[in-house]
Amino acid sequence: MAFNYDKYLRLEKMPTLWCWGCGDGVILKAVIRAIDKCGWKQDDVCVVSGIGCSGRFSSYVDFNTVHTTHGRTVAWATGIKLANPDKHVICVAGDGDALAIGGNHTIHGCRRNIDINMIVINNFIYGLTNSQTSPTTPQGMWTVSQKAGNIDPTFDACKLAIASGASFVARETMLDPKKLERTLVKGFEHRGFSFFDVMSNCHINLGRKNKMQSAMENLDWIDSITTPLSKYEKLTPEEQLNVFPTGVLKHDTEVREYCDMYEEIKNVQQGKRKVITQDDFEKKI
Amino acid sequence: MSLMKAPENTPVWVDTARCKACDICVSVCPAGVLSMKAEPASTLGAMIEIIAIDSCIGCNDCELNCPDFAIYVADKKADNIKFAKLTDEAKARAAAIVENNYRLPENYGK
Amino acid sequence: MATREIISTGNDLNAIAAVDAGCQFFGGYPITPSSEVMHTISDLLPKAGGAAIQMEDEIAGIAATVGAAMSGVRALTATSGPGVSLKAENLGLAQMAEVPMVLVNVMRGGPSTGLPTRVSQGDVRQARNPSHGDYRSITLCAGNLAECYTEVVRAFNLADRFMQPVIVLTDETLGHMHGKAMIPTLEEVKAGIVPRKTFDGAPEDYRPYGVAGDEAAVLNPMFKGYRYHFTGLHHDAKGFPTEEITTCKNLIQRLEDKVMMHTDELELNEEFMLDDFDGSDGEVLIVAYGSVSLAAKEAIRHLRKDGIKAGLFRPITLWPSPADRIRHFTDMTKNVLCVELNIRQYTEEIERVSGRLDLEGLYKVNGRAISPYEIVEKVKEVF
Repeated sequence: MAFNYDKYLRLEKMPTLWCWGCGDGVILKAVIRAIDKCGWKQDDVCVVSGIGCSGRFSSYVDFNTVHTTHGRTVAWATGIKLANPDKHVICVAGDGDALAIGGNHTIHGCRRNIDINMIVINNFIYGLTNSQTSPTTPQGMWTVSQKAGNIDPTFDACKLAIASGASFVARETMLDPKKLERTLVKGFEHRGFSFFDVMSNCHINLGRKNKMQSAMENLDWIDSITTPLSKYEKLTPEEQLNVFPTGVLKHDTEVREYCDMYEEIKNVQQGKRKVITQDDFEKKI
Repeated sequence: MSLMKAPENTPVWVDTARCKACDICVSVCPAGVLSMKAEPASTLGAMIEIIAIDSCIGCNDCELNCPDFAIYVADKKADNIKFAKLTDEAKARAAAIVENNYRLPENYGK
Repeated sequence: MATREIISTGNDLNAIAAVDAGCQFFGGYPITPSSEVMHTISDLLPKAGGAAIQMEDEIAGIAATVGAAMSGVRALTATSGPGVSLKAENLGLAQMAEVPMVLVNVMRGGPSTGLPTRVSQGDVRQARNPSHGDYRSITLCAGNLAECYTEVVRAFNLADRFMQPVIVLTDETLGHMHGKAMIPTLEEVKAGIVPRKTFDGAPEDYRPYGVAGDEAAVLNPMFKGYRYHFTGLHHDAKGFPTEEITTCKNLIQRLEDKVMMHTDELELNEEFMLDDFDGSDGEVLIVAYGSVSLAAKEAIRHLRKDGIKAGLFRPITLWPSPADRIRHFTDMTKNVLCVELNIRQYTEEIERVSGRLDLEGLYKVNGRAISPYEIVEKVKEVF
C-alpha cells in the first residue's frame, strides 16, 4: 500500500476521538509521513502535546510521548531536549495552548532557538472546551465566551515566531497535506527552533456557529484567507490585511542552536576553553 | 484495530470500521470513484462506498485527506497496479456527486 | 559514616548535594532567597556533564525539570513561596504521572510578595498540598547547614523510591547562613544512591503503571526502547487516559497507599535531650523544625542550666507527619510548646495526631528569627 501508518500508531487506541473530518487526523498522518521521510527511529523521537483536542495527538503515536499541562509543551520539551540533545523532540499544541496560556513559553523557545519542532494546530478557536475565543479567532465571529460577537483582536503567529527569533518559520493549511508534509520535513531536518502554524478546520465548534457547518466549508474559508508567499508579496497592503502567506517564511541556517551553544558552557566549566564573551557573538545587543 | 492489508489488484480500498463519514474523501476525489451511502447503523447515518473503482487515477488525495486512516491507495510500483486516466465522464460524475451532498444521484447515468 | 568538613552557605550546599547525588538537570528561575542555588548549580552541573537552565518563568522552570526527569535523569528545581504557588499545577502532574524530582523551597515571608529577604516557615501547610486533588506530599525540612546537604541527597533517593516530587524546605536564615558543616564524603553519598526501579523485560510486556496497590510506578528512561505515555489524566497500566471506574479508583488509592503504607521509610526525627523524659512533672517538650530548632536547642541548654527539664522533638520529614512518635511524647508530657515562624501551621498537625487542644505556642510572623531567649522566656511564662 502507499504508506504503512500502522507501524507508527498505537493501534489499540484507534479510532481517534476527534470529530468526523477534523484536521487533527490529517496533520497526524502528515507528521508520521514526515518522520518516516527523515528516517528517524521511533525510540529517538519524543512527542509532547498540550491540552485540547490536539493534546490527544501524543497518545495515538508510538513514540516516547508526554501529555503536559495547558500551554507548557515548549517548556517541557526544553527540559527533555537539553537533557538529551541528540534526540528529536516535537511539540504539538493548539492555538490557545501555544499562543494564549503558552505564549510566553513559545516566545522563549523561539528566542533560544533550541532544536525543537513546534507544530501549532491553529483552528481559530478553543475546540475541546466548546468554542471559547482564542488569540486567532477573527473579530466578529461568534464564540461561546463572546456571544455578542468577538471583539478580541488577533495576532499573526508566524510574525510572533519570527520576531521572537525562531530560525525556521512556516505556515501551511489542511488543504494540501502533501505540501504540509514537505514543509514538515524541511523543518524537522533544520537544526534550530522550527515553528509551524498549521491552519486547520474545526467545523464542529467554530464552523457550526459561523456559517461553516461542514469540514469542506471550513476548509474553503481557510483557502480564502491564505495564499502562497510568492503571490502574497505581490499584493497591496489593503489586500494583505485579510490573507495569510503560506509556505516557508523564514529559514535561517546561520543562527546558532541552543544545545550546541550549551556545549560551549560545558567546555568552559570543564576547563576546555576560556570564558564566553561578547567577542564570541556577531550580535552584540 | 487490525492492520490495513492491501487486497490483490485493488487500486483503492476502505475500512468501514474506521470511517466517520466526514465526506472529505468524496469531496476531493477528482474521478467520482467514491460516494457516501445511507447506513442507518453508523453514527452519522452514512458510510463511504467505492462506486467506480475502475476510474481511480491513483492521485492519493483521498488517502492524504482522510483524517481517520480509513481509505488507502495502492502503490503503483510496489503493488503493480495500473491506474486509470482521468476522463470527462469521471469528472462529470464527481461534480454530480458533490452537488448532491456527496451522494451519487439516484438513477445517475441511466 | 565518613565525613568531611565544608564551609559554605545553605543554598550552595543544596546545589553541591544535588550534583553529588547524581542530579543531571536543573530548571529554575531567580527568586530571593533561593537564587544562589541556581547560580551555584549552573556552574557545577555543566562541569559534571549535566545541564542547568534559567527559564523564562517559574512555571517553565518546573516544566523543564519534570520533562528532564521524565526523560530519565535526576532533576532539581529551587524556588521560594511565590514560586511554589506558580509551580503547583505542574507539581500535580508530576505527582499524578509519578515523576521523581526534587523541589527546594527556601522559605521567605509571605503571603504573596511578602518579605523576600526575610525568614519565615509560612509554606509548611502549602507543602502538604501544593496542588489540587488527592495525593500525599513528601516534605523534608533541613534544620541546620549540614542538613541543607544531607536532606537534598535523601530527597533524591526518596523521590526515586516513591516516584514523585519531594519537597525540601529550608529558609532564608539557613539559605544565607555561612558556616561550617560536617557532611558525608562523596564516596559515602555515591555508595548510598538508590536509583529508580526499571523494567528490563520485553517492551510489549512493559506496564509502567501496572504495579501492586502500595507500589510506585516503574518508569523506564525515554529513548531506550520502551515507549509509553505520560499524562496528567487518570490513566491505565500503560499510561493511556481512561475514565474506567475501577482503574480510576485504584490509581488514586495507590497514590495514597504507596506513601502512607511505607511511612517507615520516610520518617526521620531528631530527639534532642529527650532520653531522660519519663512523664514526670515539670518536663517541657518543645516541638520545632527548620532553623528555629537551632534556637530551640540553645534555649534548652539554658533551661536545663536553670533546672527546667526541657527537650526538643524535631521532625525532619514533616509530611507525612511522624504521628506515632509525636503521640508517644505528647501522651507522656503535659507541657508542650510549639515554636514556629508562622501561625500554628504545624501546631495544627500536632493537635490532630495528639488529640490535644491545650498545646502552648510561640509564633512569630514579622520576618525575624526567634531567639533562644524568647523561647526561654516563653517556657518560664507558660509552664
